Amino acid sequence: MKTIDKDINIVIEICGSAGEGTISAGEILSRFMSAQGFEIMSFDAYPAEIRGFGKCVAHTRVSSNPIYSPGKLADVLIALNDNHAISQLSALKKGGILIYDSQPPKPHEEDESVVARADAETISYGVPLTMLAQKAAGNARGRNMVALGAVTALFHLDRDAFTKSIKDRYGKKKQIVIDSNVNSFLEGFDWTKENIEKEDTISFHGVTPPQTKAEQKREKLIINGNQLVAKAALDADLKFYAGYPITPATKIMEILSKELPKHGGTLLQTEDEISAIGAVIGAGYGGIRAMTGTSGPGFALMTEFTGLSVMAEVPAVIIDSQRGGPSTGIPTKTEQSDFNAAVFGGTGDCPRVVLAPTDTQSCYGATVLALYLAEKYQTLVVILLDFFLSNSIRNIDAPQKPAPDMRHANIAPDPADLADYQRYKITDSGISPRAIPGTPGGMFFATGLEHDAYGRPNYTDKGHLAMTAKRFRKHASVLAEAPAPMISGMAAGDWCSNTMMPEQDTGGDPSGTGIQGLEEGAAGSSPGISDNDGPQEMVDIGVISWGSSAGAAHEAVMTAAGEGISAAGFSSMMLSPFPKKDLAAFAGRCKKILIPELNYRGQFADFVTTIIKRPVERLNFITGRPMAAEDIVEKMKEM
Amino acid sequence: MPTHDHYVIIGNGPAGNAAAFTLRENDPDAAITIISHENICFYSKPKLVKYLAGKVDEDALAVRTMDEYRRRHIRLRLGQTVAHIDPDSQSLHLSHMEKVHYTDLIIASGARARLLPSMKPYADCLTFVTEFNDTRGLRKKIADGSRFFIFGGDLVAFKFLKMLTDMGKQVTLLLYPRAFWPHRLTKDMQDAIVKNLAPTGADILADDDLDTIVQDQGKYCVTTKQGVRTQADLVFSFNGLIPEVDFARGCGLEIDHGILVDETMRTSLEHIFACGSCAQIYNPDINTYTTSIGWPNAQVQGKVAGLNLLGEHHKVRPAGRKYFDLEGVKIKTSWWEDLEKGKDT
Repeated sequence: MKTIDKDINIVIEICGSAGEGTISAGEILSRFMSAQGFEIMSFDAYPAEIRGFGKCVAHTRVSSNPIYSPGKLADVLIALNDNHAISQLSALKKGGILIYDSQPPKPHEEDESVVARADAETISYGVPLTMLAQKAAGNARGRNMVALGAVTALFHLDRDAFTKSIKDRYGKKKQIVIDSNVNSFLEGFDWTKENIEKEDTISFHGVTPPQTKAEQKREKLIINGNQLVAKAALDADLKFYAGYPITPATKIMEILSKELPKHGGTLLQTEDEISAIGAVIGAGYGGIRAMTGTSGPGFALMTEFTGLSVMAEVPAVIIDSQRGGPSTGIPTKTEQSDFNAAVFGGTGDCPRVVLAPTDTQSCYGATVLALYLAEKYQTLVVILLDFFLSNSIRNIDAPQKPAPDMRHANIAPDPADLADYQRYKITDSGISPRAIPGTPGGMFFATGLEHDAYGRPNYTDKGHLAMTAKRFRKHASVLAEAPAPMISGMAAGDWCSNTMMPEQDTGGDPSGTGIQGLEEGAAGSSPGISDNDGPQEMVDIGVISWGSSAGAAHEAVMTAAGEGISAAGFSSMMLSPFPKKDLAAFAGRCKKILIPELNYRGQFADFVTTIIKRPVERLNFITGRPMAAEDIVEKMKEM
Repeated sequence: MPTHDHYVIIGNGPAGNAAAFTLRENDPDAAITIISHENICFYSKPKLVKYLAGKVDEDALAVRTMDEYRRRHIRLRLGQTVAHIDPDSQSLHLSHMEKVHYTDLIIASGARARLLPSMKPYADCLTFVTEFNDTRGLRKKIADGSRFFIFGGDLVAFKFLKMLTDMGKQVTLLLYPRAFWPHRLTKDMQDAIVKNLAPTGADILADDDLDTIVQDQGKYCVTTKQGVRTQADLVFSFNGLIPEVDFARGCGLEIDHGILVDETMRTSLEHIFACGSCAQIYNPDINTYTTSIGWPNAQVQGKVAGLNLLGEHHKVRPAGRKYFDLEGVKIKTSWWEDLEKGKDT
């Protein structure tokens, strides 16, 4: 029998078929747990088809302590559909708990039965999900609610509070819908309390998440990455969004289609992604903040236009929420395989900014920063999300709205310069003051051709060199404004301001970016590493990560420390330009380097080796599930 | 000869395990599945009393580890209940509507606590201790309680009584002469038992019977026919065991108290064997069916069932006359013939 302390840290998975309410049940569970004060991280795996096909899994990790990754294996698997749940058994911990329908509508063969396929050490609770749903509501649709009732009774959760969560979820529906769901839930609760002999030791009774009074008062959002990107864009004065729907980025457009007009903006659904980026560049040229969102296939189509944004120095923001690829690939599975496309894709010497949020909270900061950097540096900024970040739900502190100078960053020309206005004037920072069309005296040529300081086509070798160098000089300036890399496992403050230690969360930085100055308008600068930092202790393993794998990597470092492995973690939201000096200094303090990422060839690992110039260990998955800290720890043990 | 059959065994006690391991030793290729309604690996029932007393923990109950089954490719289906057998399609129907097909079936489902007909109205007030499932949560109740009532008088009852008195608990025993079913304790036997139990300090009631049990706020008030009233934290019933065969009724198997088998453990249906305390074995000496209890008997029968399923021809020796020591009182038994003839032994 397993023993779980009063420190709760469990993963619950609900598995069913599309259209069975699997995702709804997971969402209600997450919201309830959050309302109870627990940290939650949840995500859904579902098929590309709309309904009636394929397997859905709602995965929720619940903890009384800060969490950084979704957890690999489930403690509890709720099987709403035996056929699908059978394949999910491999994700159930040894000795885990299986809740299954003990009175399904028709007989089934042994090989179709989830409980038949469960390991002998699995604790199996049969609950008549279908029968109780029919009893409660006259049909089997409420099986998901019956299952939640069973979970509530089994694990000693607050029945009345859970009932409220269900009512809140269906609050806008007809009363009969609310009643059906609540009654199904209560049937499940009562039946389980009466009939199930508890054999496990998971109990929420008496568990109080350790919250300070300040934390209790702090406004919490239960939100996923896509929702947070949309919120950030609105807060950062986005005025134009053009896009073509594509999983997993569609939700951003859905939200903005409703909200952007309320904020004086416009949303344009274009006929394809090429048109979308074209429209965004047009809007950016016109002087308003503009953005598009897509996934790998759409990003590939936009590639030609990305060059125009850089060459013509027109602000543009592209969100690429990665999914399994290449081509149409696996639309509803997560992957980190667009690194090369985002950082290096396209033709010519094409410096662009690429940001990759490392968790849900930092989706907000990354979006604000992207719009700011695009406008200030008149360039292309790509935000690399992925299916997991787009869809996983966290309860986070409500972010602070960006300060005015983060919302309006265009560097306009001095009126005195308009007499002989050089739109592409060579400057030390690479930034040429930009006149918005309509500015008296601010006329200029904007073209994808190489040009001179006035924008006139110029193909001379000297001119091309000067302009290319100018465009690249922006990188140095951008890096100075970039959030510091996130470090774990090394002493706080020894050389990097953004150090995460096991007992800390994001350290009171509500944007989660490491950008300390959002409110004041200045993004925190990377302190870099000097030779004067003094002698540092070497660690055995350095884990270098990016994007959504970073949470798992940092958690793995903390876990490994508890198991006697000396390790440290490094992740940077800024992928291009990359804080190479910071990385080199970090790597210099690690005997071995491990790079976990969700792609086959190790795109980021290839990139890192060009910087640190030494072999690295790679950990690559393309299973469609997010990176798990457990996988990284296992690899660390092998090293 | 190697086969690719699926042998299913209902029951995870000594008979079922002996059968499964015998099958595996002699047929390395067949699929073997043990189905048990209990969600615990093969454990020692005799140790349950020590477990309840807090003298051993759950791990100490284990007879086999999960790993032993894994190594032998014997599949355990724990926590699963067989609802009925369909011999025509050679399949079992589990309570959750799952069909499990078998090529051969061995029923070793054991026995369950006997609920006296007169006690049915008070079933909810009684606590039975025959399997691990019964003991969940009971350990704490025993540790927290101070006064207990025992109704019955089978082999376990007296062990249990001593366990409680050793723990310093106050115990009342109502000795029931038919508890050592199917035998009836004579007046002399009862007197001897009462005398021999006197050193335990328990209150022993004999020549009496239960009248009512009233539950109030988690406590019980037991009243006997002779008007003795006792307050108790729990009321235990120890009145013997009966074969666990309800799921097998109606499928065509010949069943009396237990499943009727010949000396080779074959039932009245092809491809189905039965062994252990769920079976009644033909005894040619007295031309009737008798049952046997006890771990060694179950193991022998399980082994014989396994071997015969594979085509061999072994017989178990009929349970002979035996003496049980019931608190110093020797009870001679040859079991069912006495029941059938309505004799006291």
